[in-house]
Amino acid sequence: MDKPTMKVTRRRFLQASGTAAGAAGAAIGTGQLVGLKPIGEAQAQQASGQTVVNKSICGQCPARCGIDIYTTDGRVHAIYGSNDHPIANGKLCPKGHLGTYILYDPDRFKGPMKRTNPNKGRNEDPKFVPISWDEAFKTVADRLNALRDKGESHRFGLFFGRGWGASDVGVNIAPFGKLYGSPNAPIGHSSICSDGSVLAKQCTDGNASYSSYDYRNANYLLIFGANFLEAFRPYNNNMQVWGHIRRDKTPRTSVTYVDVHMNQTAAAADRALLVKPGTDGALALAIAHVILTEGLWERSFVGDFTDGQNRFKTGQTIEPDSFTEKWTNGLAQWWNTELKDRTPKWAEAITTIPADLIVKTAREFGTTRPAIALFERGAHNHSNGVLNGMAIHSLNALVGSLFAEGGLAYQMGPAYGPAPADPADYMDDYAKNGPHKKMPRIDLQGHEDGYLMAKNMIQEVGTNHLAGKPYKLDTALFYMTNPCFSTPKAKDWEEALKSMFVIATSPFPDETSMMADLILPDTTYIERWQDAPTYPFQGWPLAQLRTPAVKPLYDVKTFGDTLIGIGKLIKGPTGEYYKKVESVENILRHLAKGFEANPGDNGVKDFEGWKAKGCWYKKPYHWRQVRGEFFEWDGKGWNKPMSPDQVKAKLMPTASGKFEFVSSYMEKKKDWVLKATGRDPAKYNMPHWEPPKYTGSGDLHFITPKTAMHAEGRSANLPHAITLFQPANGGNKQSLAELHPSVAKAKGIKSGDRIKIKSDLGEIFAIAKVTELTRPDTLVLPFEHGHWAGGRWSKGRGSHVDEITPAQSDRISGMANYYTGKVSVEKA
Amino acid sequence: MTKWGMVIDLDKCTGCQACSTACQMENNRLPGENYQDVLYYTDRSQPTPKLVWFPRPCMHCEEPSCMHVCPTKATFKTEEGVVLVDWNKCIGCKYCMIACPYGVRFYTDEKPVIEPNVKDVFPGTGDLSWNPPYKGPQQDNAHGVGIQPHGVVSKCTFCYHKISKAPKGTSDLSNEDPALREYVPACVRTCAPTARYFGDLDNPNSEVSRLISDRDGARLLEHTGNKPQVYYLGRSAVVPGFKKS
Repeated sequence: MDKPTMKVTRRRFLQASGTAAGAAGAAIGTGQLVGLKPIGEAQAQQASGQTVVNKSICGQCPARCGIDIYTTDGRVHAIYGSNDHPIANGKLCPKGHLGTYILYDPDRFKGPMKRTNPNKGRNEDPKFVPISWDEAFKTVADRLNALRDKGESHRFGLFFGRGWGASDVGVNIAPFGKLYGSPNAPIGHSSICSDGSVLAKQCTDGNASYSSYDYRNANYLLIFGANFLEAFRPYNNNMQVWGHIRRDKTPRTSVTYVDVHMNQTAAAADRALLVKPGTDGALALAIAHVILTEGLWERSFVGDFTDGQNRFKTGQTIEPDSFTEKWTNGLAQWWNTELKDRTPKWAEAITTIPADLIVKTAREFGTTRPAIALFERGAHNHSNGVLNGMAIHSLNALVGSLFAEGGLAYQMGPAYGPAPADPADYMDDYAKNGPHKKMPRIDLQGHEDGYLMAKNMIQEVGTNHLAGKPYKLDTALFYMTNPCFSTPKAKDWEEALKSMFVIATSPFPDETSMMADLILPDTTYIERWQDAPTYPFQGWPLAQLRTPAVKPLYDVKTFGDTLIGIGKLIKGPTGEYYKKVESVENILRHLAKGFEANPGDNGVKDFEGWKAKGCWYKKPYHWRQVRGEFFEWDGKGWNKPMSPDQVKAKLMPTASGKFEFVSSYMEKKKDWVLKATGRDPAKYNMPHWEPPKYTGSGDLHFITPKTAMHAEGRSANLPHAITLFQPANGGNKQSLAELHPSVAKAKGIKSGDRIKIKSDLGEIFAIAKVTELTRPDTLVLPFEHGHWAGGRWSKGRGSHVDEITPAQSDRISGMANYYTGKVSVEKA
Repeated sequence: MTKWGMVIDLDKCTGCQACSTACQMENNRLPGENYQDVLYYTDRSQPTPKLVWFPRPCMHCEEPSCMHVCPTKATFKTEEGVVLVDWNKCIGCKYCMIACPYGVRFYTDEKPVIEPNVKDVFPGTGDLSWNPPYKGPQQDNAHGVGIQPHGVVSKCTFCYHKISKAPKGTSDLSNEDPALREYVPACVRTCAPTARYFGDLDNPNSEVSRLISDRDGARLLEHTGNKPQVYYLGRSAVVPGFKKS
């Protein structure tokens, strides 16, 4: 603590001592000038209290790093990564530290409110007035009870964003819809997230999931459009891995990175391949072609020609019987039908990547074990997304990386105890047999008329509601998702919200809140109880716990408790179920009981221990493939050999129990797939090249990537995050539109110019940044800004990219094709 | 005597800016005015453009030109080699900002980078230039730590409020040792790829000394004679000559 001194201003210094007497100025000692001016607040304030460090988990991306929250005298003033947490390891990404700002965001909602202006729109003041939580819950419950009484409970929708599935928001969301009776509770956001990769995995190795990765032991990474060092989860841990594999580890891991513009991952990699948008699949197919023709595949996993002679020759088919496969299925058929003609030269014409670089990449990838091929949105946000993903994932099979050390696998769940109540015990006749049972989902997920194989179709809801097909929603509850801003063709959702009763739960003003009838503000992640089993990480189970560092600053409630509060007022057994569930904290205490029989590696065996450490985990991952043999963990090592049936049941749940180059999962839906996609019946079920359907008549691909500062929609109102948003291109006040100099020259555009970007859906304005980092056929404008509602920093800043992003989705995965649009630009 | 210094490995740095935000929050920086900036540079043309980045804290020079020009001796060097500003003595004349070859000093009352101005949103009272709600408990004007008063120049302190409490004789401050983590500068503590090392340059057996020796640690703008106590390792341990983003 500083002593009560007086700061010398420049003017006062000059007056008092004269400029020549600098040394005399320095000699003005402590306390000498006290009394000339009041003592500053900072100097006068005594920090009396102890600093408390609270274990929690970050809430700004799906990685959810363990954090230490520092609180002194009730004020949260620092967040650091927790050393106890195996993802964070004491470190954080740039977003994590700004969590304090999220807590103290001056624009937060202060309590529940209802709308009094019946008119909704961008320029309509909702005229919110404060209400009590009792009134808020009763308003919602009365509506839902009335709908149920009319047999229209399906017209209630619950839409959620963050959550690894519906179970980790402190309360499992899924039972609400089951007990109340709505197929639309919940509808997740996965189709605007990463369902393309989920379906690609499901179609090939049978696991409808993201993968876990053992990067630390890999010697080669081939990354397609998963921006490892900016936007791929778990970002913080990826960077820890990077420091290890690129410097500390011997041998150093080589990295080839494929994307449409030069970003930090591309710059840090050994080789950047700047590919034409939507053509990643062609590149992967050509790499597979080289791996086969040059005999580089992993024989212990894939198998071999019966006589050991490599007969994979460009353009020539092989005798299917001449190749005996081991853990893969359909290689000969894939080669003969598709792969034999997919030469590097062929791929060069499609991808613009020079053939010699494709060959080099394939040779490196094919000869360096263990190697991982990974991909995300960049590769699968196109009409051919699942095909691209299948082609890339097939490379993992070819080099034997599945379930191998230094390869990739899947994620085990935590040893949770049973929840306080089992929904199955609370199902009334209506829940079991009510009219909602015959209703399709509003998004037509799982429906022949819509997206039969998709997991969710949140981007279709607005459009379907407006058309009344299959029906109109009555009431919609939103948790951590803002689809009227963030889905393609966002304006349909916006329009749809005008004719629904909208319940918003964001702690912060946003577009959904602007259209809301009720605001039931959530707590921030600093103020709440909540659990989160990890996203796929390294395979072994990990369950993290959020604990409140401070009491909520305002009259707000954790969403889980809001849902329970509403549930308690639903008539019949639903209400009884939620009375039994009681609260989020009660749920967490029940879940933690599972740790008694399975203490974590960090000694956590009960709720109190979980709270103190912030996480429970138990290494290792239980299965491993070693040179074509599968083994299970026996408590000491991967010693128990697995039979093919065990591998099928536990690891590769496909029809064949193997990695399928020819997908049985796709084959099961053959008629629908052929009808919906018009694909060649000879190839529809295998990774093959299909040109992406670009939408719009412009001449530039419109790519709207995620940046490192994207904090689940929060960073647009964080002034510090805004200044760091797009550093490689100087976007420190808003996201800038990256344009190649050749485009800029042709259109007479200079850096800093205001430009108009036009798609078939309309036009938006942006500020141009002329840069060589972006391909000449591509315009890159990172999403985040352009909010028409929000806080004082976010509202009206920058460009809203999804206003002109077309509503096209991959017919198989339902993945929104964010990067499919073509636009034109001109100086505004 | 301990002489604190930093080593930054550019081969490991991912350019994520977590050093910047950790510092922003720890030291209550204004948006866009970072004690610890990461600079980005581009060069060459498609399809083989070049993008590099360069993290830049205060160099805590052995011969700090900022200190030499300071008319009030507000800028001084501690016995452990840390360059600090005594806000009680600083008159905000900005000579030091001109003299510093590295551009790592900040005047309090500049035009805000981002509007609305956080200083208006969270106004300070008295000398305090602003009052962020997440303000830390430390305030030490004599060492330039905490919320800046109006009219002064401020800079990176190597998180003086942390390192000054480290046990005497510590060779390296690292997050790896739980007993030391509270004494580690914020940027070093959070650096996910462990591109930053902090330790005693005068101790020949410290990790920082070993890294400088083994991997040819380089200092920025050697010709100025400032002799930085921050060393860079790796592929581009000089400020690139091409254009800044």
